[in-house]
Amino acid sequence: MNPELTRNLWLELTPRRLATMAIILALIFFAAGLSGGDYYRPASVAVVLYYFIVVIWGARNAALSVVGEIRDRTWDLQRLSSLSAADMTWGKLFGATAYNWYGGAICLAVILAHGFTHDRFVSVVIDLVYYLAVGVIAQAAAFLASLIAVRRRQSHTRLEIFFYQLAGLIAALAVVYVWDAADPAGSIIAHKAPTDFIEWWGHSYDARPFLLISLALFTAWTLAACYRTMRLELQMRNGPLVWLGFLVFIGIYVAGFDAWLSQDPMMANWDPVALRLALAATAYGFLTYVMVLLEPKDRVHYRWLAGELVAGRIGKFAGGLHAWMMSYLATLIFCSLLIWWQMRLADMQAVALIAAGLGFLTRDVSIFVLVHALPGRRRGDFSVLLILFALYVLVPAIVNGLDVKGALAFFYPQPGNAAWLSAAIAWAEALLVALLAAGRVAIAEQPAKIKPA
Amino acid sequence: MIEVRDLVYEYPSKRALEGVSLSVQPHTITALVGPNGAGKTTLLRCLAALEPPYSGSVAIDGLDTAGAPRQIHARLGYLPDFYGLYDELTVRRCLTYAARAHGIAPALAAAAVEKAAHNVGLLDRLESKAGELSRGLRQRLAIGQAIVHEPKVLLLDEPAAGLDPQARRDLSALLLSLRDAGMTLVVSSHILAELEDYCSEMIIIENGRVVGGKAIKVREVERTRYMIELATARSDLREFLESAGIDVVNADGIHALISFTHNVSARAKLIRDLVGAGFELASFAASTKALEDAYFSQVGHA
Repeated sequence: MNPELTRNLWLELTPRRLATMAIILALIFFAAGLSGGDYYRPASVAVVLYYFIVVIWGARNAALSVVGEIRDRTWDLQRLSSLSAADMTWGKLFGATAYNWYGGAICLAVILAHGFTHDRFVSVVIDLVYYLAVGVIAQAAAFLASLIAVRRRQSHTRLEIFFYQLAGLIAALAVVYVWDAADPAGSIIAHKAPTDFIEWWGHSYDARPFLLISLALFTAWTLAACYRTMRLELQMRNGPLVWLGFLVFIGIYVAGFDAWLSQDPMMANWDPVALRLALAATAYGFLTYVMVLLEPKDRVHYRWLAGELVAGRIGKFAGGLHAWMMSYLATLIFCSLLIWWQMRLADMQAVALIAAGLGFLTRDVSIFVLVHALPGRRRGDFSVLLILFALYVLVPAIVNGLDVKGALAFFYPQPGNAAWLSAAIAWAEALLVALLAAGRVAIAEQPAKIKPA
Repeated sequence: MIEVRDLVYEYPSKRALEGVSLSVQPHTITALVGPNGAGKTTLLRCLAALEPPYSGSVAIDGLDTAGAPRQIHARLGYLPDFYGLYDELTVRRCLTYAARAHGIAPALAAAAVEKAAHNVGLLDRLESKAGELSRGLRQRLAIGQAIVHEPKVLLLDEPAAGLDPQARRDLSALLLSLRDAGMTLVVSSHILAELEDYCSEMIIIENGRVVGGKAIKVREVERTRYMIELATARSDLREFLESAGIDVVNADGIHALISFTHNVSARAKLIRDLVGAGFELASFAASTKALEDAYFSQVGHA
């Protein structure tokens, strides 16, 4: 058996803990059965307990699985083991949460027992897959968030661990919300009629199977992300292909929802190709922001990358590319394609807006790099978020208040006559910040002068 | 066994290692010394393939750390300066986990655990929880975890920090026995006295550079020097010691500086023989000057 899983099972599944969980859950279900009523029946209570034990508590344990090792100073021992990244990933993800899955299995048994006596077999199986997937995705997202933090060498206070857990909970909530929207009985959360069909790439699909497959695919990608981040932590190199594969997947997936955008009055005259290119470019732009925020921004690594490129070692250079860089490149390519497409249709207003959007994205990414390359750049991400808040919210609000509408071109892509001005300003800002960032990255550190003890 | 060439390591705010080159021979114990913040721990972490170098190369047993980090991890044991243990697990389970995590097959793990426990003197504590051990015993368990897979190279960062004198002596004997068993050890410390007992070579790190550009041999430290002091002078002291086959470095009627084994029984026998031959023994103590002399002579030229 996987040694990491075995070690976790030794710690998590002691006879006393197993008995405690079983007794407490049995008492709760017994009490629910005695109390009667629909709301407190054992199956309903089991659903709530499942979310608490597997999703909320499980996400915390998943987040702690590596962070706890760092806190207890045992992580180096594990990094120096011969365990593969895959063994380490699933040994931790399912080992640290073994107790939660034990409790969750008891809850699922109660839920399924009720389902088999009241619903169709297929419906019960779909529910089972959903419950397992929502648990795995919550725990995997929390685990991934904690691994990313480890890569960023962040400290691990209780508050930070809560944030990693929160990442898992947000992922789970997104799943619950989307799943609920396709509930045959109608959405409880959104108070809407059921979404029976989903339009994707011009075809209609049954909502529940479509969402279930989507859920399985996103769960698989989240697990792949955990595995690849673990590889980095174990000093192994990741090639660019998997992230490029994800970009292809997400581009195709998102571009299929063009029917939703076509209802937007701003894009009423865009053809399906333009809408799909715009959706893919937007997804890549969004990923660029997310990844540049999450990934470690180490100017030593950037300088090393530049050195490899200049030396012509393209394999090493490609292997060292960060996910945000590849996402930015994908945004650049898809925006260029979209510009070319819209120029064919002589929609120059759209061309200017897309160019401006790309310019502002380039500027923002350069701000991330520049701020992290400055001396004393602790809390660099927080500083960048403050700068972006000022650029996108605070200063435009003041400009609006002063009724200097023309100046908004400095901050947003502007429609109408200011569209080209906005694009020119965005790229001027982008080039300026990018040059400053490149200059700062290029400066090598000198050895520190140390006084003998 | 260890080859480092032009190693540069940079933190975002500081260049920690600047063009470090060194070579460590197999079956030796090499001391890595230098002031706090000199780069010792960073160098050890680069040797352990835990940190990727900015430039230069590190090879362990012929494998490059950048190209084959996991293969190197399988050949390596590393004890960080601040280490943790799984306090809720027994010593046996801690060692079993370390053995299995280092690729030892389940059928062979029990034997490996027994051997490691024997080597670090924890055979009688196998069923104790790690959290219940004293500091010295925890240190032994941590070393046991690092050697359970019988690595070719063992890296220890400040291993004697916080240990009492007896535990330090036990540690010295353990490290020598590991070297004799075929391991190559690199031990970092900024306290020279604790390295005196077992190191044969010394690498001095200062400001991220190797002082003097290479490792230096430390004379006579493989066999520690002991100072014998008599209460009453005897002109035949040197003659007696040499006739007993002992390497006498220097002697007069009152004092004799000898190079002698760490073996406790051998030392006890020598003391018994001296007393039996009518020498009035006033003291018999280890001399700890050689390494400090070597260190300060090098740092003075830096």
